[in-house]
Amino acid sequence: MLAELINPYYLQVASFVLINIILGISIYITLSTGQLSLASAGFMGIGAYTSALLTLNFDLPIIVGVLAGTLMAGLFGVIIGIPTLRLKGVYLAIVTLGFGEVIRVIFVNWESLTKGAVGLSGIPHMGREILKTLKGFGFDPQVLGLQNNQFIFMTIFLLLLFITIGIIQFFRRQNSSRVGRAFAAIKLDEQAAESMGINITYYKVLAFAQGALVAGFAGTLFAHVLAYISPADFAYHRAVEILIFAVFGGSEVIWGPVFGALFLTVMPEVLRFISEYRYMIYGLVIIIMMAVRPQGLIDVNIINWIKTKVGKRGQKHGTSNTKNL
Amino acid sequence: MLIEQLINGITLGSIYAIVALGFTLVFGVLGIINMAHGEIFMFGAFIGVVVTASFQGPLWLAFLAAIAVTAVMGYLLERFALRPLRSKQGVSHLAPLISTIGVSIFLENLSHHLFGAGNHPFRASFAEISFQIGSITVYLVQIVIFVISILLMYSLSFWLGKTKAGKALRATAENLETASLLGVDVKRTITMTVIIASAMGGIAGILVGMAFNSVTPQMGLSIGLKGLAIIILGGMGNVKGAMVGGLILGLAETFIVVYGDSGYKDAIAFAAIIIILLIRPQGLFGQKISA
Repeated sequence: MLAELINPYYLQVASFVLINIILGISIYITLSTGQLSLASAGFMGIGAYTSALLTLNFDLPIIVGVLAGTLMAGLFGVIIGIPTLRLKGVYLAIVTLGFGEVIRVIFVNWESLTKGAVGLSGIPHMGREILKTLKGFGFDPQVLGLQNNQFIFMTIFLLLLFITIGIIQFFRRQNSSRVGRAFAAIKLDEQAAESMGINITYYKVLAFAQGALVAGFAGTLFAHVLAYISPADFAYHRAVEILIFAVFGGSEVIWGPVFGALFLTVMPEVLRFISEYRYMIYGLVIIIMMAVRPQGLIDVNIINWIKTKVGKRGQKHGTSNTKNL
Repeated sequence: MLIEQLINGITLGSIYAIVALGFTLVFGVLGIINMAHGEIFMFGAFIGVVVTASFQGPLWLAFLAAIAVTAVMGYLLERFALRPLRSKQGVSHLAPLISTIGVSIFLENLSHHLFGAGNHPFRASFAEISFQIGSITVYLVQIVIFVISILLMYSLSFWLGKTKAGKALRATAENLETASLLGVDVKRTITMTVIIASAMGGIAGILVGMAFNSVTPQMGLSIGLKGLAIIILGGMGNVKGAMVGGLILGLAETFIVVYGDSGYKDAIAFAAIIIILLIRPQGLFGQKISA
């Protein structure tokens, strides 16, 4: 029964949806302080290459690679963040775009390490490694009535789902904490926030580094789920794709980029003929959204509307759902 | 050898300068970075290929066609991607940037579908003609590119400095509302600026096609990003800065290919902007803006 429901292809798509959601969150965090960073693709690449190279060349376990890749991206986030945060608005966007290009050019040209434009293949696959470990303990997926393949994709999906929910939960809680309120204040008015005693440099670097960490983390997951990476995966198009998750879904609340990533990853899979024109449609979506609804599809009003709908049902039990945006 | 490389560098640099002028005009007047400029430029190059290769037309017709098409594209860009944002209240200053990114993605993929992803050769009838001056070889193409660039820069400077429309444009760049109060038709000036910038992009596209003898849908992005780097190097919205910045970048790229690692040629522009923004954020020729 279970075996028929589990289709590796759907699970694969679902896994990419989850990775894209994490990427969408990474751009949302920096946007929540009012800064537009287009470096997410670059940080993702740093995470992916670091983890892939460590696991390929030193036979380290995937978890070590993931941690190292994430931290490396975060480190770059701090290094890039501190000087660039003197810049505002469009300047920051261009510098981060330039940073992404420099990273890509380095990946292409450092052939002794990165194999250049060909990319790295044979990266340890997360699902297969888990299966190998479990088999070492005498576990066989046949017990669950699953084939190896199905089991591999299901573990990846469940693992990513767990991770994604954890990340969303973390940032939802952060939003209603001291840090989140500082971010919101900086977004509204930097000068006012500063005069209220908020250390804006600290919080801006924090947001930038958090975005870099999350993007790097998504990159490491990407490497170990796909088992193959090349510099083209982290080029300008990836940066724009991540941007459009936030533009389409909305960047006021965390559910915006989550919805954007979900919708825009599933749409080309469901409507195959769209796939070919995907980027043309992306372009049009961006233009139309900016003209008609610059805050994105999901904003605070929509969330509140959903809450009142849900809240009416909840009132019977005397609970209120107005906390925790 | 050195002088030949110097000539190569100046040729490349003068093309870059024209691309950068398109960016700088729009930024100067509207305060917007037009991310779609590179793609409009790429369309200009493709129109050149279509006219000279598919229809066997003469080069001057290619120029006229490219100017016409890119001018129309400039109008459409202003009308549908920029104007709706201007009339709206409380739109984030990032909105026009994101909107033009949308236009650039759209145009790049449109050209994929129209012209195919491959490399299109650009055949100018005089591509092989060269002169020997002592031990130096100079190609006629280089001279043509250089002369057209200089003419274009000179006429732009003259137009901005001496004509009424140019003065209106500078007034608008200085302060939109004041210019409007003083009787400048701001809406028309803005539209005209975007159209002129786009047409210059179209001309630059043909020049690049002649210089590299190849046109691809991706060239819009790579040259567009370089143009962006140049205006930051020279100072945003500064016409002289765009020209000098273009020459600097052209020479730097030529010399790194000769004396360094050619693979990192494309990274110079970005390394330069990261450094310049940290040391001198207003650019080489920009004036300090008080915050």
